[in-house]
Amino acid sequence: MFDKLEKMLAGAKADYIDIRYEEVKETAIGFSGKELTTLSANAGDGYVVRALDQGGMASVAFTRPEEAEAAIRAAAENASLFSRNTAKPVRMAKAETVRDTYSPKLGEDPRQIPITEKLELVRKYNNIPLAQPKVVNTSIAYSEVYRRKYYMNSEGSRIQEDLVTTSVRGLITAREGSLTQNIRVGIGGSDGFGAVRGQERHFEEKTKLVLDLLSAEPVKSGSYSCILNPSLAGVFAHEAFGHFSEADIVETLPAMRERMTLGATLGNGILNIIDDATRPGQLGFYKYDDEGVAVRPVQLIKNGVLSGRLHSRRTAAEFGEPLSGHCVAEDYRYAPIVRMGTIYIQPGEKGFDQLLQSLGDGLYLLDAKGGQTSGENFTFGANYGYEVRQGKIGRMVRDINISGNLYQTLMDISSVGSDLRLSQIGGCGKGQSNIRSCNGGPHIIIDNLIVGGI
Amino acid sequence: MEKLLEMAGRAADQAEVFSAEQSSSSATFQDAKLYDIRTNFLSGVSLRIIKDGRLGFAYTRNLKDRQGLLDNALDSLRGGVEAHYDLPDTRVGKSLATYDPAASRLSSSDLTDEAKRICEILKAASAGEIMAGAYVSVDSLRVLNSRGADLSQRNSLAGSYSSIIFPGSGSGIGREVRSRSMAKMPDNLISEMTDLFKQGQKTVQPKGGRMKVLFMPESMITLLWRIVSGLSGRSVYEKISPNAARLGQRIFSPKLTIYDDPLNDACPGARAWDDEGVPCKKLSLIEQGVLKGFFYDLKYAEKMSAASTGHGYRGDIWSGDPVTVKPGPFLGHLFMEPGTASLAKLISQMDRGIIIEGVMGAHSGNIPNGDYSIGIGPGLYVENGQIVGRVKDAMAAGNIYETLSNVVEVGDTLYPSFEGARVPPLLCEGVSVTTKT
Repeated sequence: MFDKLEKMLAGAKADYIDIRYEEVKETAIGFSGKELTTLSANAGDGYVVRALDQGGMASVAFTRPEEAEAAIRAAAENASLFSRNTAKPVRMAKAETVRDTYSPKLGEDPRQIPITEKLELVRKYNNIPLAQPKVVNTSIAYSEVYRRKYYMNSEGSRIQEDLVTTSVRGLITAREGSLTQNIRVGIGGSDGFGAVRGQERHFEEKTKLVLDLLSAEPVKSGSYSCILNPSLAGVFAHEAFGHFSEADIVETLPAMRERMTLGATLGNGILNIIDDATRPGQLGFYKYDDEGVAVRPVQLIKNGVLSGRLHSRRTAAEFGEPLSGHCVAEDYRYAPIVRMGTIYIQPGEKGFDQLLQSLGDGLYLLDAKGGQTSGENFTFGANYGYEVRQGKIGRMVRDINISGNLYQTLMDISSVGSDLRLSQIGGCGKGQSNIRSCNGGPHIIIDNLIVGGI
Repeated sequence: MEKLLEMAGRAADQAEVFSAEQSSSSATFQDAKLYDIRTNFLSGVSLRIIKDGRLGFAYTRNLKDRQGLLDNALDSLRGGVEAHYDLPDTRVGKSLATYDPAASRLSSSDLTDEAKRICEILKAASAGEIMAGAYVSVDSLRVLNSRGADLSQRNSLAGSYSSIIFPGSGSGIGREVRSRSMAKMPDNLISEMTDLFKQGQKTVQPKGGRMKVLFMPESMITLLWRIVSGLSGRSVYEKISPNAARLGQRIFSPKLTIYDDPLNDACPGARAWDDEGVPCKKLSLIEQGVLKGFFYDLKYAEKMSAASTGHGYRGDIWSGDPVTVKPGPFLGHLFMEPGTASLAKLISQMDRGIIIEGVMGAHSGNIPNGDYSIGIGPGLYVENGQIVGRVKDAMAAGNIYETLSNVVEVGDTLYPSFEGARVPPLLCEGVSVTTKT
């Protein structure tokens, strides 16, 4: 393949050029209620070229190999157009030249499992909630994405890497009278088909929870001190803080950039956050990003102080900070952008009971239900929660959305538990999606969160 | 494609070949400086077959191996995805103006120039951080099926957008324009943005409670997402829409009339037929608050013993890649009838309330049920008809069936919004707002 890519690039007129070719094989199985709605196994492929010329940078994605010449010419021309329209030339931080072929160790290679066996497994999981009369609908889908990436650049790097992602995820909806409630389900990982086997308990627990939600009370809106479970703490790390550790976000927001200078105190001294996609066996694992840079752990917050940032080669040069290997694309349809890999709040020492005692009165909120950041403000939902009075867990509450201000909330993290857990399914949208976006944390306490209710 | 259809037609009872080719370019400015120039050439073919009441589906980017693609579709029949509908035998679609050759002549340089022009004006007129961009895309779609349909259409879409970010907050006042050729940002939209920005310089922390809320185009996504979900034939079939038994009943304020009009080619993206080849038509959804109908694709129409309303599209809110996705019910040409109030008049009617310019979390919560709970960013706080400042740390929450029953007044200008919708600003009362104080 590299010979073919090399031929495509021959004659390209730019100071720097890289090309990524990907084959993506996708298997999808979907149920809506009892009905099977999707069963397919397909493949697609395509190319992305990036050119840097005289301080201008541009990218072109294409799917037909016969369009390579026109695409590469367009990339070079647009890079030159860019350079004529910018006062500040784009530079790329120096990176090592890498030649490597890497395939992850898989518990069980999903490509070796017949699709009928996958279908039966998903059907079995789907039937767990459907056995309950109050469950009116399920939407449960198996997804298997196998990407083989070939990356080469004009500096001599040649990297082939495989990424395999499997998941079973969806939504269970229950109804009683005019009240409907739903709960998200999701299992999976990046280490093979084993990640989705033997997970009946997950579906049993979620089914019970959605039925319980039918008799829960809506949360009363207001400002509360809350314990977040590891799933929510992870989404908090991702939404509230993580996006602002992506250098391309703060790069062009001068006021935030100034505030987010390395060394600035952003959080309570007990707070430590890291992005470490090199941790083996978890969803976010990869070896090289989509500009051929090996990913490395980045300590983002150390004892409350901003201590690192996630970079592409372009932003590392712009900020004069070390490369981190976080420039990642969804697939062959996109040029890469800065993404989180595996971001999590590092565990502290407190047990869950100690957290309950220090909370006193407040809410215990569990499991993420979507989140979003807009500048310094963030919002995300919790699937369910409980009132806490004098350190005791009380009645269940539903319809919980929290919002807060990044800087204030980082200061308001008052306790960190010891029980780190990482997410099994991802999904981050930033113009393009990242199904391997992994996050986590231990139980934590945040004081004074705004809870919206409905 | 014809050969593929012929092969597939022999192997199955019915077959459909769909192809899409798209070329697009964009120029993006951040902090008023050129940040990115991108171009895409994406194409692909997808095959749908029906055999013995079962569905097979497959796609490819490069149609080199027809038999391989057909084998993939035949393989997927084995799962037993049911399909008890007939593909349409549409011969000709209504002739619409969907393509402007001027769009094909737009270069990356033209896009860069327009985005730069917007940046320069906004930079001179405000102290905000300026984001802007311009884009163009031209695509060709074709639907062929074994019942004789052979439809093709070329579309062009060009647009520009910008937003003035309140420094330090990362959120701002944004506007967008779309057309079939070059969409220049008009002066009145630019001054609307700069005026609102100026009035939001000061941050305020008002008390929460029930108050008036003015939903602006960037925040209408909150309501539209839930409206579309609640009117989808699929949500009705799946029993997750609260509207199943409400046809003919008043579900919103009499001030609201909502319809879908794919044939309106005054707007870009008009369609004569959907991605299944079913002819499109204007569809009344809400007339003066009364629920008039649901929208269907072939599959859910059959399940509900209705006819497809021509709303079978490949791609949904999360996926814009038509080749890799099977058709499903989707509403992409929603219009909300404008009222008579200017933006200034709407604001003058707010004794106490928030103009919501941007939201977070519109995608979470119980969407089919109409519940929303959103972070406001940015929102401008109004007292006695005057903007006081930008509200800090606030959320708005409710259920659209309540919120949209409490419409005070509908704005007189349509803005592009969520998934091709055209909507006016909407002033509602009694919305629950939570703040830190």
